[in-house]
Amino acid sequence: MEMNSLYDSLSLIAPELIISVTLLVIVLFDLIFKNNKKMLPFLSTVGLAVALITQAGNLTDGGFAFSPENTPLFYGMLTIDSFGAFFKILVLAASMLIIYFSSTTDEVNESFDRLGEYYTLIFGMVLGMMFMISASDLILIYLSVELLSLSSYVLAGFSKNKTRNNEAALKYLLFGAFSSGLMLFGISLIYGMVGSTNLTALNNFLQTGSINLFTITISLILVFAGIGYKISSAPFHFWTPDVYEGAPISITAFLSVASKAAGFALLIRFIRVGFVSYVDSEGFWKLSEVFDWQLLLVIIAILTMTLGNFSALWQDNLKRMLAYSSIAHAGYMLLGLAVMSDQGVLAVLVYFFIYAIMNIGAFFIVMLIANRIGSENIDDYDGLGFKAPLLGVSLGIFLVSLTGIPPTAGFIGKLYLFIALVDANMIAVAVIALLNTVVSLYYYIRVLKHMYLVKPSTEPPVIKPSFNNLIFVLILAVPTIIFGIYFTPILDFAKQCVQFFGV
Amino acid sequence: MELYDLIFYFFAIVTVVSAFMVVTSKNIVHAGFNLLFTFFGVAGIYVLLGADFIAVVQLLVYVGGILILLLFGIMLTNKITSVELRTGTAHIIPAVIGVGIFWGALTAIVAFKTDWVEVNTASTESTTIIGLGNLLLTDYVLIFELLGILLLVALIGAASFARREIEELKD
Repeated sequence: MEMNSLYDSLSLIAPELIISVTLLVIVLFDLIFKNNKKMLPFLSTVGLAVALITQAGNLTDGGFAFSPENTPLFYGMLTIDSFGAFFKILVLAASMLIIYFSSTTDEVNESFDRLGEYYTLIFGMVLGMMFMISASDLILIYLSVELLSLSSYVLAGFSKNKTRNNEAALKYLLFGAFSSGLMLFGISLIYGMVGSTNLTALNNFLQTGSINLFTITISLILVFAGIGYKISSAPFHFWTPDVYEGAPISITAFLSVASKAAGFALLIRFIRVGFVSYVDSEGFWKLSEVFDWQLLLVIIAILTMTLGNFSALWQDNLKRMLAYSSIAHAGYMLLGLAVMSDQGVLAVLVYFFIYAIMNIGAFFIVMLIANRIGSENIDDYDGLGFKAPLLGVSLGIFLVSLTGIPPTAGFIGKLYLFIALVDANMIAVAVIALLNTVVSLYYYIRVLKHMYLVKPSTEPPVIKPSFNNLIFVLILAVPTIIFGIYFTPILDFAKQCVQFFGV
Repeated sequence: MELYDLIFYFFAIVTVVSAFMVVTSKNIVHAGFNLLFTFFGVAGIYVLLGADFIAVVQLLVYVGGILILLLFGIMLTNKITSVELRTGTAHIIPAVIGVGIFWGALTAIVAFKTDWVEVNTASTESTTIIGLGNLLLTDYVLIFELLGILLLVALIGAASFARREIEELKD
């Protein structure tokens, strides 16, 4: 690679560079100013904000970064485009919320002398996600998934004194190591057939080369196992409930939103760049006929949401219930991708935007209540709605929105998903998804029933959140309502971002 | 069968047999020492493939570093040497037959029926280090730098796990 193209590449990945520099600054700051740990969240927020502004300013930039020498024009380690920009903005914004979230979580603050490590690892995760989102080379895909995973294993077991925390970290590590091994094996098979690790090269190969369908199917299923583990889709979801329940709650929220977003971005780009031969006039993707992605995704999606919803019915721990609910939501979003059209991807983007807001909100209120009463059990929520009116109402809004009932934003997300499904004539699938939504209503509303209708056996404690926490709750709850009524801004933003560079 | 093939099969058998011993051995020290032969066999295969640098790194890092650390870890831990590991299996014969046929068929199709890309291995270079170094700092410079950050994060994570909490110290 020549020096000129190196400079071009570096300017394309400016947000990633800012995140890397912030990571190093946090490490050094923690070493030099040992007693100033209270400053770490501010430092992290500033780093994330600068990266977010840079990214938002370069929304429409497009290009291949780090193209190898002597290769065709359309090869690059990274593809920078507005599709990636959407997910990066989502990840960066979610990270900023999570930094504030962490600074108020008791579980995290109990390990006060290790806060430096905590924020460093958060930035390790962010960096991994950002590279996952724009990676278009199998080596970079694998490496960024590992960077994300390694940081999250440690964070899942961050408060070491609790048994369930250690269990979460160990389970996460074992599942993660196994599935990334499977993924690497799949990648090696693809490399053996294509002779290149680039996704564009894979696409060219699929259209011209002589292919053993059997081998390519096995290798793609193996690669999907690695990605499916990151987005916790069935049958790779078994780690999710235990890890989500055991990890510190701020990390649970982070994993369920940002980590999942990065996994989805990776999966969408993998299919879009690696397999789509052309896009027809109505925006439907025509895939190379070597592997039926649509069939695989529809089956996995239905399995994922049904398993997630029906398992959530029996859960009494709210963290665990939200874990199963996040599995179910991954199922809905997989359906959006399974449509294999620009409109399907648009639905996924809209859904993710809304899902991020409401899910972080729900976890934040569960955390505020757990800070006060030390439990996430649904029986301890009896009568809480009257003692903490604002928290109760907000949690109600988030849960109703997660179900997808108007006039909340969750309804808009589901609406676009169903429109995309119906447009593609996948009526039966849409009906199954709709029935699933009805099932999910039961366990979301059950929380509300406990908060407002069940008479508590003992007088519930008064929960008075601080002013800052109230503002944070409102920042999440108000958009959940507003975007349910006035959703054009999200839609315009998402429409602008269904652009893939170079394909 | 040429000498090259014979050497390959020798290393392959060493690797597979010792790896099998690692996972079936009931004694953790035996498992650790068997791992030595696995790493050694893999290094031998790297040499056969002409990947001299990776072979040396395999010996230095895995055999010389990681394995020694692992054995030290086992020996410095009280009681662990006498722990009986659970390695029991249920219905071993049907399992072996079922998995063997299924996996054998899969492997056979994948290995023999696929048009693998063949790379011309006849190289004029006497060593791969020059090419590797050039690639790592040109085409793959991003990967190289990102690996640096990955190692930093792993180091910090390991330190965070290994460090004692203040409450623990008080006890």
